Amino acid sequence: MKPFALRDLIDDRPQDGVFRVNRALFRDQALFDLEMKHIFEGGWLFIGLSTQAENPHDYFTSFIGRVPIIVQRDGEGQLRCFVNACPHKGVRLVQKRCGSARRHVCPYHSWTFDSAGANKNIKWQKSGQYGAGFDEENHDLATVAKFGEYRGFLFASLNADVPTLEEHLGETRKLIDLIVDKSPEGVELVPGRVVFTYAANWKMQLENCSDQYHFTSTHPSYIRILDQRAKETVNEVVQSSIGAADFWQEDASGVTGGTMSFDHGHVLNWGVMPVSAALPEFERAEELARLHGAAKRNWMFNMRNLTIFPNLQLAENASSQMRVIRPIAAGMTEMQTWCIAPRGESAQARAFRIRQYEDFFNPTGMATPDDTVCYEEAQIGMAEQDRPWLQGHARGWSASVEGGNDWSDMIGMKPARSVLADAQLCDESLFGSYYRAWSARMAEALA
Amino acid sequence: MTTLTKSASLTQSEATAYLAREALYLDRLDFDPWLDLYTPDCLFWMPAWRDDGTQTEDPDRELSLIFYRGRRNLEDRVQRIRSGFSVASAVMPRVAHMIGNVQAEAVGEGHMRLDSSFITNVHDVRTNKSHAYFGRYEHELVLQDGAWKISSKIIRLMNDVVPTMLDVYGV
Repeated sequence: MKPFALRDLIDDRPQDGVFRVNRALFRDQALFDLEMKHIFEGGWLFIGLSTQAENPHDYFTSFIGRVPIIVQRDGEGQLRCFVNACPHKGVRLVQKRCGSARRHVCPYHSWTFDSAGANKNIKWQKSGQYGAGFDEENHDLATVAKFGEYRGFLFASLNADVPTLEEHLGETRKLIDLIVDKSPEGVELVPGRVVFTYAANWKMQLENCSDQYHFTSTHPSYIRILDQRAKETVNEVVQSSIGAADFWQEDASGVTGGTMSFDHGHVLNWGVMPVSAALPEFERAEELARLHGAAKRNWMFNMRNLTIFPNLQLAENASSQMRVIRPIAAGMTEMQTWCIAPRGESAQARAFRIRQYEDFFNPTGMATPDDTVCYEEAQIGMAEQDRPWLQGHARGWSASVEGGNDWSDMIGMKPARSVLADAQLCDESLFGSYYRAWSARMAEALA
Repeated sequence: MTTLTKSASLTQSEATAYLAREALYLDRLDFDPWLDLYTPDCLFWMPAWRDDGTQTEDPDRELSLIFYRGRRNLEDRVQRIRSGFSVASAVMPRVAHMIGNVQAEAVGEGHMRLDSSFITNVHDVRTNKSHAYFGRYEHELVLQDGAWKISSKIIRLMNDVVPTMLDVYGV
């Protein structure tokens, strides 16, 4: 028996100005299991950057939903994605997070595979007295159904019945371009991965990245420090870029930013930031305008929080962060986080980027802990089910228009919907894009 | 290092007592005397871990969990904890540091290097959950105006998957 019908979970009635989400989406473990199957293991998922396996035979390991994977280059440099499990007994083949290997030998019974995933040896195969059926089976590592790359960003799907990666990413490719094109050499991950967990649903993180509304409420302690630091000339204090920006200042006037929603659940919230020395990219400001035009260069300086549904978030605000959301249970999520940076930037710019990153983004910093504690408090508060509908997806619906606006036109981008906002609008209608994609993927299971 | 005068270095037991005193201030969440232990230009550094299983070494090119040069930044941390505007600091956890395996070495006149191991048990009162953090400390102490001050503290955190949050008093 199906536990819920879709209409009981997402109340989507645009004609009545209603969009509501049932708090069961955050709490129910049966729904979580369906999400794993139909969202995380049922469609495109971000799995890493190609620079994480740079040279022939380099590999890194990760997960698609619950399934362990290896992403590896063969001797010719071709990248592939395999299930990280020996076909013999299902043992996880590679335990390291990254490395370089021409061969992988299973630690349990020594079955051996090359860097292209082909089985090279089954121990004592000739003496094994196997039946005919065994010989007919493929003993190579299982490849994932779909694997694709867009400008170094790697995606995979365990389900073959998905749109092309190009179609899945759609117009958000132009937002990925803004990140990659900051350097002619592209982007890289700063060494050092920071991992944390929080005892709440993965969609709390999904939403928070795109939630402008919380910033001045959740982070006043950090904002006070930014204000204080901005007034100080002592060079030992860690300075921040967003301190100088208007998009979150409640007394700022005019358009300070907005949101854009894309097909397949991707969203952007953004804020105007000047082309100024407050960002480490400033050293290349003129070169970037020459290479890409002033409009695209200016967009590279805007605050941008991009979610590629369901698990990748690229945050360009206080610094630049790549986050990967890994749901563990309905009430437990693991976050994998990195500082993502343009290759070849000066040592000074890199150090500046890293310093800003640590204070803002780390679970050991001064902003993220206040977010994650709020997620957990939401998880506790959402135990109440008599009034199932949340009121947190309602702002901005009457400001949301189909298509883009002057700002998206600047970089020739065509979002499905957009909102232009002053500092206090703080659109929540963009979350509709998440939940419509959620519904589309869950429809079959929930009906 | 037999040329050092007695007062310009710390004995093993004095070094151990010094670390215990820092731990006590943190356990009591008594931040003013804790900050007083540090020199104005101190290094306070908790490196992150690379994917290859080694720790980051160059804080200007690699990520750290915490990296500050200057006590001023630690004062900011304390200000945030006390501000009343940080939900993560609204219900303060209870903390107990255990420090052991202390090795003290005089590296110069009025300059000591202390290696130690730590375990901190943090009870999160908000969620009723306890967490343990463990790793190694590397302190450098300098003698300034007759008092020993921490000029450098490196925290090598071994279990770096952080449950929700971790602040300066938790390690």
